[in-house]
Amino acid sequence: MKIKQACYLLLAVTLMIVTAEYYQSKPRPTALNGFSAPFVYGQFTTPQNNPLTNEAVALGRRLFYDPLLSGNNKLACSHCHQQKLAFTDGMKNSMGVSLKPLSFNTPSLVNLMWGPQHFFWDGRVNSLEEQALLPIINVDEMDQNLDELIDELKAVEQYQRLFSKAYGAINKQNIAKALSAFQRTLISANSKYDQFLAGTIKLTDEEEFGRKLFVAHPDVKASLRGGNCIDCHSQFLTSGFNTKYDGFTNNGLDNEEQLLPGLQAVTGKPEHKGLFKVPSLRNIALTAPYMHDGRFNTLAQVMDHYNEGIKLSSTLSPLIVEANNIVNGNKKKPSLNLSMEEKKAIVAFLHTLTDEQFIINTKFSDPFLQEIKIE
Amino acid sequence: MKSYLSITKYTILVCTALLITACSKEPVKQPDSEKSQALVLLRGLPTLDTKHSVAIIELDPESAKFGEILQDYELSNLAEPLHHLYYSPTGRLYATGLDINCSLAEIKLVRDLNGAPLIKGHHCLDTQGQVIGEDIMWHTSNGKEYMFVTFMGGGGLDQADGGSVGVFDPQTNDVVKIISARKSQVDAGKPYIMYPHGISAYKDRMVIASTIHPDLKTGVGSTITIIDLNSLSPIETITVEDAKPVGFPSSPVEVLFVRPSIVENVKPGVLVNTMFGFETWYIPFNEADKTFAEPVKIYNGVDEGTGVPLEFYGTKDELFISHAIPGVVKRYKLSSLPELVSSGPDIKAELGAHHMIFYPSSSGRKLIAVQNNLLNLGNQADNDPTDIDFIAKVNDHSLTIHDLTSSKRLKTINFKEKYNKGIENIEALFGSGFIHHH
Repeated sequence: MKIKQACYLLLAVTLMIVTAEYYQSKPRPTALNGFSAPFVYGQFTTPQNNPLTNEAVALGRRLFYDPLLSGNNKLACSHCHQQKLAFTDGMKNSMGVSLKPLSFNTPSLVNLMWGPQHFFWDGRVNSLEEQALLPIINVDEMDQNLDELIDELKAVEQYQRLFSKAYGAINKQNIAKALSAFQRTLISANSKYDQFLAGTIKLTDEEEFGRKLFVAHPDVKASLRGGNCIDCHSQFLTSGFNTKYDGFTNNGLDNEEQLLPGLQAVTGKPEHKGLFKVPSLRNIALTAPYMHDGRFNTLAQVMDHYNEGIKLSSTLSPLIVEANNIVNGNKKKPSLNLSMEEKKAIVAFLHTLTDEQFIINTKFSDPFLQEIKIE
Repeated sequence: MKSYLSITKYTILVCTALLITACSKEPVKQPDSEKSQALVLLRGLPTLDTKHSVAIIELDPESAKFGEILQDYELSNLAEPLHHLYYSPTGRLYATGLDINCSLAEIKLVRDLNGAPLIKGHHCLDTQGQVIGEDIMWHTSNGKEYMFVTFMGGGGLDQADGGSVGVFDPQTNDVVKIISARKSQVDAGKPYIMYPHGISAYKDRMVIASTIHPDLKTGVGSTITIIDLNSLSPIETITVEDAKPVGFPSSPVEVLFVRPSIVENVKPGVLVNTMFGFETWYIPFNEADKTFAEPVKIYNGVDEGTGVPLEFYGTKDELFISHAIPGVVKRYKLSSLPELVSSGPDIKAELGAHHMIFYPSSSGRKLIAVQNNLLNLGNQADNDPTDIDFIAKVNDHSLTIHDLTSSKRLKTINFKEKYNKGIENIEALFGSGFIHHH
C-alpha cells in the first residue's frame, strides 16, 4: 500500500514539475500592433501555427538582416533583397556566397499574402515557411548548414531571448516561421496609384492615359486600344489571384527550342512548359532588370518586347497571341502595335506604382543599423 | 489517508489534462468565404434603444454563422441612418444618408490581422447644403468621369419643391456642380427637378425620377427629368402617370436606362417604376435625334396584384424588379427587354421587398437575399415616434434568402427581432451586379 502511495506521489510531483516548466517556458506572443491592410487586396490567411505577432516579426526581421544566416557569415537575406530596391538587388542574376551568377533574377518581396501561394519563379514551393530555408541552404546562395546555424544562433543571447518570446525553441522550423512572419508584413499600399485610388491625388494626363491602356484588352472592332497588361497582371497591386496556377504564364520571351521548363518542372505537365510566375508590378520602376532571367534593363525594353518581340511557342499565352491594336494583325507575329506615345504612357503609369514610403519604412529596415544609430 | 490519495490522483489528472491540451494540435481554421458576406445599413429603432450602424453580416445558409453580425460599426453621431451603399468603379465605398448633416459619406474598409474585412471609419462629405442623398451613379461625360448623386431634399427640407443632382469629382469628392431647377423657379412648361431619387444614364443623357418630398407629406412627384450631360442641365420633364390606384401622384422611384452595354443590340430606352402608380413604364429613346417618345405602360400592378414597385437589379441574364406589396421580386429575361418576359417564378419575400444581392453559398448554390423594408419607419403600435401608418405596414424588417434557381425561400433573418434594428439597405461585400439601381 505504501509503495503504491509513494508511486502516486512521485508521479504527481513529476507531472507537476513538467507541467509547470512547460507552461512557464511557453511563449506568450502578442498580436502584431497597428496592422492594417487595404480591403481591396482581398482576403488573406496566415498559417494557424504562425500568426502575425510582434515577437515573431521582430525576430524574423533581425534574422532577415543578419549575415549569420550564411555559411561564411557575410551575406544576409537582405543582400539580394534590398529595401531601397523594393527588396530586389538590381542585378540581372544575383550572386551569393559562391559568386556564381544564379539562374534567376531576384523577385521583389512585397504583399506576399496575396497572389499565388507558390513561391520562386517556377512555383516550386507552396508556402513562405517552406521557401524561407531554401536560399539559406543553397550552396550558391547562402550555403549554410542549418544545424550549424542553429548552434550559432543559440550562442547569441539576444536570439535566445527573441526565439523564447516568439516561438520557444531555436530550431529550423522556427527560423523559417520567423522569416516568413516578417516577410508577410512587407505590405506596400501607399504608391501614387494607391493615393489615386483613395482619391487624395490625381494622375497626370499621361499617367491616366497609361492607366487606361494598362487596363484595356485591345478591341479593334470597338476602337478600343489597349496595352493588354491587365490580362496577366490582373491584381497588379498585389501578386495576382491565389487560385491554383492562375498566376503563371508564358509571355513569349523564348521560342519553342529555348523554352525553359518553368512550372513544368513542378507539375510535370507539358502545357506548363515555359510558364513562370507573373510578378507583382508594385514598385516595378525600382526592380529592374526585368523578367525571370533579368534580360531587360528598362521598362521601355519590356514594352518593346510586348509590342514587337513576342516569340511563338506551343504554350504562349493566348491572351498575348490575340491582342493587337490593328485590324487583321499577323497571328504568326503577335504584336500590340502600340505607338511610341502609348508605350511611354504605360511606362509613366507603371511609375505611379512606386511606393516611396515602403522603401524607407523603418519597420522593414535593417535593425542592426538602427541599433548603431541609437548607440 | 483517503483524501491524501484523492488529492494526489486529482493532481495527476489535472497535470495530464494540461499537458495533453498543450500538446494537441490546433485545427487548421479555414477562412470564411467572403462571397456570402454582405454590408447592411441598419436603423436604430427609437423605442428599442438601438443606434444606427453599418454592419457586416454572414448570409450563407450553409454556415454555422448564418445571420451573425460579424462587425457592427455604430453611427452614434447621426440622428438618421445612412441610406444606400454603393461601390465606386475604383472600389471606394460610399453611402447616401438621410441625416441632413450626413447626406453623403465615404466609408473606410480595411483588413484586420486575420484578413477579415473591418469597417474602420466614415467621413461625411461636403454636399454644399444638399440633403437626403438617395442614389449614386458614376458616369463619363465628354471624356470626364463624374459621381452623380440625387438629393431628394435638395437645398433643404423646407423647400416644398426641392431636389437636386450633385455632380462630384470622383477622385476628390469635391462638388463640381449642383444641378437644380425648382418647379417654382422655372417658367411654366420648362424642365424642372423635384424630389429626385432614381438615376440612370446612357451616353450624354441622364434620367432622374421625381419621387416624393422627404417628409412624405409635402408633395409627391409624377415625372422623370432628362439631363443633358454636355451642359449638366435639365432639358426635358416627362410625366409618367395615368391611373392613380391609391389617389396619390404616381411617384416614379427607380429608373433604368436599358442600353446595349446591358442588353446586346437593344434599342435604348428608359424603364420607370412608379411607387404609387404600381406600374412599370417604358420610354423609347431615339438615339439619332436624342428624343424620348411617349411613355408606354408595360406592367400594371393593379392587374397583377402587386404594389409599390421599387428596384431594378440585374444578373448577367435576368432583370429583377421588387414590389413592396405583397413582397415579391419578379424576374424577367434580360435579353427580352424592354419587354418584360418572365424568366421564372416570383421570389416570395416579405412586405417591403426592396433591395437585393446575388451571391453563392459555400457549396456554390446560387442565392438571392432580399431586404424587406420600404422605409424602415416605425409603427404606432410600438409607440414609435417615426410612425407613418402606410409605411409601417410595408416594413417587415427582414432579409429573406432564396435559391436563385427555384426562387424557393431558404432562410429568414428578422432584424427587429434579432437585433432590435431595422434594415435600410444591403450590398454584397464585393459589390452587386452590373445594373444595381441604374
